[in-house]
Amino acid sequence: MKKLFSLFLAGAMILSLGACQEKNSPGGAQQGVTDTQADKGMAVMGNTVKYDPNHLVNDGQPISIDWWVWASEDMFQGIADMYEEIHPNVTINIINNPWDGFFTKLPLSLQKGEDGPTLFNVHNSYENLIFNYMAPFDIDTQELIADYPSAASHLKDGKIYYADYGLSTGMVYYNKEIWEAEGLTTEDIPTTWDEFIEVAQKLTEFDENGKMIRAGFNYNQYFNAIALGLNYQFGSNLFDTAGTKAQVDGDGMKQAVTLLVDLYEKYHVGDKDFGTNCEQSFYQGQSAMTFVWGHFVNNLKINYPDLEYGNFEIPIPSEDTPYAYYRYNGEATPAINKNASEAQMEVAQDFMRFYFANDNVQVTLCKEGGLIPAKTILMENAELKDTPIVKTVGPHIDRYIWPGAMPSTLETNMKIAGEDILYNGKSMEKALATANDIINVDLANANFTASENLYKYYEE
Amino acid sequence: MKHKILKAILFIVLCLAGVVTVLPFVWMVLSSFKTNGEIEALEQTLLPKVPILDNYLNLQENFNFLRYFSNSIMIAVIVTVLVVYTSCICGYVLGKYQFKGKNIIFGFVMMTMMIPWSVTIIPRYTMFMEAGLQDSYLSLILPVMVSGFGIFMMKQNMETIPDELIEAARMDGSNEFQTFHRLILPLCKNGISAIAIFQFLWVWEDYLWPYLMIDSESKQLLAVGLTLFNGRYSTDYGGLFAATTISILPVIIVYVIFQKRFVAGIASGAVKG
Amino acid sequence: MFWKRRPLQSKSEIWMRNLVMGFLIIYMTIFLVIPVIMVIAGSFHQWNPLNQTYNWLGIDNYIRMFSYPTFWQSMINTILFCVVVVTFRVILGLAIAYALNSKMTKHKTFFRTVFYMPTVTPLVAVAYVWMIMYNPQFGLIDKIFGFDINWLYDSKFALPSLMIMTIWKDFGYAVILFLSGLLSLPSDSYESASIDGANAWQTFRYITLPLLKPTMLFVVVTSIISYLQAYVPVLVMTKGGPGTSTYLSSYLVYDQAFKQYNFGYASAISLFILVLTAIFTVISFKFTGKNN
Repeated sequence: MKKLFSLFLAGAMILSLGACQEKNSPGGAQQGVTDTQADKGMAVMGNTVKYDPNHLVNDGQPISIDWWVWASEDMFQGIADMYEEIHPNVTINIINNPWDGFFTKLPLSLQKGEDGPTLFNVHNSYENLIFNYMAPFDIDTQELIADYPSAASHLKDGKIYYADYGLSTGMVYYNKEIWEAEGLTTEDIPTTWDEFIEVAQKLTEFDENGKMIRAGFNYNQYFNAIALGLNYQFGSNLFDTAGTKAQVDGDGMKQAVTLLVDLYEKYHVGDKDFGTNCEQSFYQGQSAMTFVWGHFVNNLKINYPDLEYGNFEIPIPSEDTPYAYYRYNGEATPAINKNASEAQMEVAQDFMRFYFANDNVQVTLCKEGGLIPAKTILMENAELKDTPIVKTVGPHIDRYIWPGAMPSTLETNMKIAGEDILYNGKSMEKALATANDIINVDLANANFTASENLYKYYEE
Repeated sequence: MKHKILKAILFIVLCLAGVVTVLPFVWMVLSSFKTNGEIEALEQTLLPKVPILDNYLNLQENFNFLRYFSNSIMIAVIVTVLVVYTSCICGYVLGKYQFKGKNIIFGFVMMTMMIPWSVTIIPRYTMFMEAGLQDSYLSLILPVMVSGFGIFMMKQNMETIPDELIEAARMDGSNEFQTFHRLILPLCKNGISAIAIFQFLWVWEDYLWPYLMIDSESKQLLAVGLTLFNGRYSTDYGGLFAATTISILPVIIVYVIFQKRFVAGIASGAVKG
Repeated sequence: MFWKRRPLQSKSEIWMRNLVMGFLIIYMTIFLVIPVIMVIAGSFHQWNPLNQTYNWLGIDNYIRMFSYPTFWQSMINTILFCVVVVTFRVILGLAIAYALNSKMTKHKTFFRTVFYMPTVTPLVAVAYVWMIMYNPQFGLIDKIFGFDINWLYDSKFALPSLMIMTIWKDFGYAVILFLSGLLSLPSDSYESASIDGANAWQTFRYITLPLLKPTMLFVVVTSIISYLQAYVPVLVMTKGGPGTSTYLSSYLVYDQAFKQYNFGYASAISLFILVLTAIFTVISFKFTGKNN
């Protein structure tokens, strides 16, 4: 026994030695240098919200803060680098916690006060979980709203705790190679669902036994994402007029869900059992089209840079303009930990001002993140004009609805409803009614009011 | 003749069962040398068509295996040593001493074995948060350093030690602490191995508690590290296979080397219950 | 033997006893008794540590729990999961151990090593491998057997898939335990049986099985306790889906406590699991007791 233990211990020691050496390699945390030059000789940045880089933060003493993100580590690192270049005494550590579990770990970490992350990315559907830990931005709210109009919707008692840096929505991604191989051209890009089905059927392939070997269209795992918002095309809102109660069992949603189910079960342009993860299946060329939000642009760039793809807007029921095409949502800026130490707070506030004022930051974020900029002045920016999302949905963006910062219960329960309908053979009425009941119980505790009534054509 | 056929059938059945047991491991290892395109191809082969090492080469920067692995080993060894010690000493007192309330205490220990993690995890979490022990290894060690299971097994084990031996040691004038450390502990080798093995495995594969408690990547344990890796690169099956392979293989190797001890230990410890 | 009832004598014995038992009692109080009390109290409150909510609710959490379909589904799933996996673990474990113990078997050490292999591997890692094995397009299982089943997404197969994985992972534990149980059996009872002319099945049924009772009880009770708490397969492989068809009660606790931060509600569910565990343990003790 003793031998066994000593062997284990010896092994453990050798390994930890190895791990210690690891620490000194480039991956480890680097300390900033002392900064003595307040005057950087740089111009003041910004439109309404201004950032004057010519000052010292934390008196120029080295300081490092943590910034939690759930994806696109490199992109955020790039933003941090821009700031560190101006203030070399600051080190911003990007900490990537996967989306799956991000909002389990983040609240835990925030309870550690100043030892928790100083900056953390927010998703507005989890706002109620972490709102208690946010400090308001030290920026004049009117100025911020002037630059970022959507910030108005995040106003709480005259303060803003986090805002949107971009607007995101879903669009169809198609594999250009398959598209062309099937003899399709840009002329064939569909606008109505009927046209879409026709194209999708062409792109679908079966083997001699009638088994699918390529899906024309795949929404597996994103049923909830596409269903929530598709209801607008059929003229129904997600919430009642008071904006406090969900109605995902309404007629519009039923029509939307019927359409989605029909795509698989009636038109066979895809299959619930083919390519259980639509992103994955799209990467492998096993699904010719998929419907994902803007962030997929960056996923494609990182994972499969050689895959040639195109985008088009979500199809609509007929040639007539629908009540709305779909929904959009704000991609939220980081928030600041209210329990951060004084020095951390100073750096974080300074960083956020830089973040909002610097156009380069915003262009990078929107371009790589597949977003429409939330900063009005960037709408006409040359670099952003040609991004897939701006080209695709830009012309109709006024026909997209922002339902508000929908609590995560909507997505969660619509996902369950979708699986119940597709995989568990539950009737649509029953599945949607169950989802609606649970959502409304949760909403009652969440203090949420929908923003659908802010939509320009709400009265239609 | 009948004997021979039976023998052959038995052997074949065992071989089949063995293949089923080992196949997932073989598939995992082989797949870790495939490209993602090949892993997900509709036409599958068991052997990689074009074996590649990239999955492993790309690992170290994304998945700090060495660090997770050594953390896991360290925690598992510490917890195992502590549990073995507390189990032995509690088992000794409960098994060899006669005193009032002994049965009540033992019954109580037995009952604690039934308490599921889901009951204790919420208050435990609250307690450790308030004590500020989050993100420290203490939070992983403290709550599991006494095991009802271990005490139960060691009590059985201690009862098989003849009283005469202890009595003789007492006659020689050694006090109880000396008796326990010098005489009793070495006598329980087999029982100790059994608990050590079980405990080591439990710590080794424990997931939720370290996931909740540990924040710093550099302190994270292997099981959690693996899920973090998958969360970040969920579309990289090749990488996942490689990461899984190097998380599993060392354990299997250690096990194969020490497997005689394993079995002997369990045999002597558990069965007498 | 007179020293069995011998009262405490030396000072050091009293010291040792007080020290060890004192430690044990204090430890158990801090890490088990107080938590259980906290959970019981918490189950009557609306409890969210993130915004320091701790409001008296009475039995609302329990009402909500009993009227929540997913709760009942998770309970049925848990019991089903537990019963099936324990049954297979015992039968497979006993059968293979019996075969390995047979004089006819060669290469015993080799087989023993092989069968215990899945047990020593971390569950999280294994679950990932099986998750990909169950994939309908490129998973090993469909490819080998020529099935066309979407294992983890078909409500008929999702829970059984988790069971199969768990049985594969854990049957080795039972093999080793039964094997050592068999090795320690007295050989004279077999000799008398063969003199009586009992056939192999009769020997097994009337001699081996009763003698293995302690091992059996040990395997069954420890298995029940651990399977009523199973959640890792769900967390890694299905997240409770499709729909809610693979929710196990411990996963529900995790989901409610650490995803939605309904600590009070999660406490109520976890207490229910405790009661269930107690009932099952008592039943298995009774069951094996009567068999003798």
